[in-house]
Amino acid sequence: MINQSPVLVVVIPLIAAFLTLLLGWWKKGLCYPIAVLALALSFLSSLQTLHTVVTNGTISYHLGSWPPPWGIEYVIDHLNAYVLVIVSLVSLIVAVYSKRSIEQELPEKIVYFYCIFLLQVTGLLGIVITGDMFNLYVFLEIASLAGYALIAVGEDGAPFASLNYVIFGTIGACFYLLGVGYLYISTGSLNMADLAQVLPDLYQSKVVLVAFAFFMVGLSLKMALFPLHVWLPDAYTYAPSTVSGLLAPLMTKVGAYVMIRVLFTVFKPDFSIELIPATAILGWMAAGAILFGAVLALAQTDLKRMLAYILVSEVGYIALGVGLANRNGLTGAILHILNDSFMILALFLVVGAIMYRHGNREIPQLRYLHRKMPFTMAAFVIAALSVIGIPPTCGFFSKWYLILGAIDADQWVFVAVLLISSLLSVILFFRVIEHAYLEPEEEHAGEASESAIAIEEAPLSMLVPIFVAAAGIMVFGVFSGKIISTVIQFAVPGYF
Amino acid sequence: MIDQIVSKYNYWIYIVLMMIGFYAMIGKKNLVKKIIGINIFQTAIILFFVSTAAKRGGTLPIIEHAHGHGAQSVHAATYINPLPHVLMLTAIVVMVSTLGVALAIVIDVYRRYETLEEDEILKLRR
Amino acid sequence: MRVLALLTVILTGILLCFGTQDMPDWGDPNSPASTHVSPRYLEKSLEETATPNVVTSVLADYRGYDTLGETTVIFTAGVSCILILRKRRRKKAQDD
Repeated sequence: MINQSPVLVVVIPLIAAFLTLLLGWWKKGLCYPIAVLALALSFLSSLQTLHTVVTNGTISYHLGSWPPPWGIEYVIDHLNAYVLVIVSLVSLIVAVYSKRSIEQELPEKIVYFYCIFLLQVTGLLGIVITGDMFNLYVFLEIASLAGYALIAVGEDGAPFASLNYVIFGTIGACFYLLGVGYLYISTGSLNMADLAQVLPDLYQSKVVLVAFAFFMVGLSLKMALFPLHVWLPDAYTYAPSTVSGLLAPLMTKVGAYVMIRVLFTVFKPDFSIELIPATAILGWMAAGAILFGAVLALAQTDLKRMLAYILVSEVGYIALGVGLANRNGLTGAILHILNDSFMILALFLVVGAIMYRHGNREIPQLRYLHRKMPFTMAAFVIAALSVIGIPPTCGFFSKWYLILGAIDADQWVFVAVLLISSLLSVILFFRVIEHAYLEPEEEHAGEASESAIAIEEAPLSMLVPIFVAAAGIMVFGVFSGKIISTVIQFAVPGYF
Repeated sequence: MIDQIVSKYNYWIYIVLMMIGFYAMIGKKNLVKKIIGINIFQTAIILFFVSTAAKRGGTLPIIEHAHGHGAQSVHAATYINPLPHVLMLTAIVVMVSTLGVALAIVIDVYRRYETLEEDEILKLRR
Repeated sequence: MRVLALLTVILTGILLCFGTQDMPDWGDPNSPASTHVSPRYLEKSLEETATPNVVTSVLADYRGYDTLGETTVIFTAGVSCILILRKRRRKKAQDD
């Protein structure tokens, strides 16, 4: 069992998806326990995989026992195992959260929803764990199709937003496939490790150069890096609350992971950094993303849409870390994958809870929330502090490494961008916290006494995941040194 | 130049087809035309992949008179490359699935807005 | 908007055509794609998988996991269509 843990991580949610459909037709109430159980088992398998990688080094798992490059291979190194644990943990938290939210928003589609939910998680886990380029494309399409469907069943305006996402997502996946095709025609191989060996002789070839360009554009589309982020705000605003909670933390981070793989494992760092200024271009796009996301978030009155623009900004941080192309920058980027997943998870789960209780997400309507939903708003404040970057929340540490990396690279513009964005986040969140916490005295003096505002807190099955996410933000912040020394230090490619 | 064209014209044809599909995806306003563009784009990519498998003088990768003959030496140069065909079987399935889901979403959009033109839908959404 | 789309399409097309310069000729038996990984599929397919149809043996045996992924894609698409198209009976009853 322990030897098979790499493949169990992907296969358990897959089988559970089929089981959910079958058993759900018989009894609707069984879907939720099956989903939570499957994701818990998958999380345990991913923890086991991480443990094996940390103690023994890179795992190479041959599917069907065919040696690579003739068979498909799962290669799990530190970066892989780390992202795998993040994906499975976040999906477990969202699955526990989903019960009440889905009962309210999609009452007659529960069985199909959980089936597609599990398939989405299967797709994401399959993308992260594989070492074969075409296998990645197949699982990318599983995740994408499930994502299109999950977003399309949201509120009014969701199908059109999802159709926009379909167009952009298909362009991204097809550009990725074109890149794989161009690499195949010039090398004959689909295995990442094999390509890494064969490609250095071909770096001067125009085919390889065009393949790289198409990879970058396609993955930027999937990752929602500025200026190719246009599908993201609409798609994640109109999606159901659970779906935003699942897709917002994960889809972009998995896209960022694939980009790091292609940039530094398939194409060696001397190609991506020195031969073509790919990381330099990435750095400037990322700076644009950070500022653009923060500025546009200021203009929103819908809380969820504001969070979607903050997500665009956060993707910019990760891309900036990759674009800096030094050890501190990459450490910051990889640490930010963990931190950002939990921050965005906490934020979107809080908005989902507010939506569940009040059905309204406009910021001016958030009055008295600190009395009605005290614990939820406390979690929101912790997540907000993390986005701003205040110790000991985790956001501070990843920003710290990014600033160190920018100083190492002598890019003072990026340091300025990082600091300005922290300032803009303060303004952003202060607006929300002001509406939720400070009461306008003149309007309701005498009407709303302390006892009139009852606590309408979110139900326990939604509150516990929010707590876990907020606790995770604090815990990962306090232990970030340990995380870096155990896992991330080895996840950064040895070139740096 | 002429020998470049003669030896590589197949790639250029696929690229032209790809670009027709790509333009339909992003330049057209009707939702169904966009989806047809997706289909053309992905079909051109499939054609491109399959063309990498061709070998002059090679035949289909099915080994003839195989049953009951045990191990016989097979010259790889007489059969065309099977791997891109396999990859493209999967890619065709993915293409059809994407088409299905996209059309389902278009039906949902039509139920809500009663039109299939993107600019009218954007006006109705405001 | 259409001009922007046309420009993007032309640029992408030129980039792709630029990339074809170093590609192997059509039908070249010595291209990297034909000599690196696939000869083993052709030569050993009979003895390792007992299947004369090499495409089947690659699809079902050597790269069988991709076929599992492909079946999952069809399944995902089918259930997604049900998820999207199933009418919200409660909302329609409220509208009427």
